[in-house]
Amino acid sequence: MFDLAFDSINEIVNMDGHGIYVWSVYLIAILIIIVSFVIARKRIKNFRSKIDIKNASS
Amino acid sequence: MLILGWVWGLLFAPEDAVQGNSYRIIFLHVPANIFAQMIYYFMSVCALMHLVWRVKLAAYLIKSAAPIGAMITFIAIFSGAIWGIPTWGTWWQWDARITSTLILFIMYLGILTLHGAFSNLEKADRLMSILVVVGVVNIPIIKKSVDWWSTLHQPASISFSGSSSIDPSMLYPLFVSVIGLGFTLISLGILNSRFYIYTREKNKRWVIDNV
Repeated sequence: MFDLAFDSINEIVNMDGHGIYVWSVYLIAILIIIVSFVIARKRIKNFRSKIDIKNASS
Repeated sequence: MLILGWVWGLLFAPEDAVQGNSYRIIFLHVPANIFAQMIYYFMSVCALMHLVWRVKLAAYLIKSAAPIGAMITFIAIFSGAIWGIPTWGTWWQWDARITSTLILFIMYLGILTLHGAFSNLEKADRLMSILVVVGVVNIPIIKKSVDWWSTLHQPASISFSGSSSIDPSMLYPLFVSVIGLGFTLISLGILNSRFYIYTREKNKRWVIDNV
């Protein structure tokens, strides 16, 4: 169960011709998830700075 | 955990006898579909809480969860489409399972659009909750579509109650991927709901003092 299923890096990338499908799906999904986290964090940060400005001016 | 599940599934799980290596998309596709449906169930419980007990926070949670639901449903459909190319020879088929999942994606977008269409946010919360409750009928349809209709999509391979038809060497990494994706989406949900609660309560003293 814990043996590597491939013999070389080339095999991992190629996956008998299916590598293009498998890797592209994972890469795009990871990208979407990372972008969602970045947006979520950025929104909170922007909100904080807005409130800080408001607090400073009042 | 998500990384562990994916590395295990992508590099260590054995090759599938029928589908070859393309089956490795399962470690993303199945967890994404599970959460696409679970997020909707979560939203419908919140919607009932909002409609019956007028819990404000429940509506905020729906609004925060819907974009995550849309995102993960998109990933589910997209990964299925790419998986279909080497396996079925087509990326799209108007099959019951795929079509009902597409309807789920449109539901998520519809919920967000409906909420965005009203300037009166209390009214928007209420109408959004009604739409969520009405739309919940689609979820059992997605689940049962492979049993009710003869579809291109295969019936479920894994089951929490009965025996699963896939080997433990593939089932365990799948299970770890499901839990890993669950934690990832929960943390994204916490970030989104934190932002949305701040936005809606921005004039309250506790937000101004504590943010």
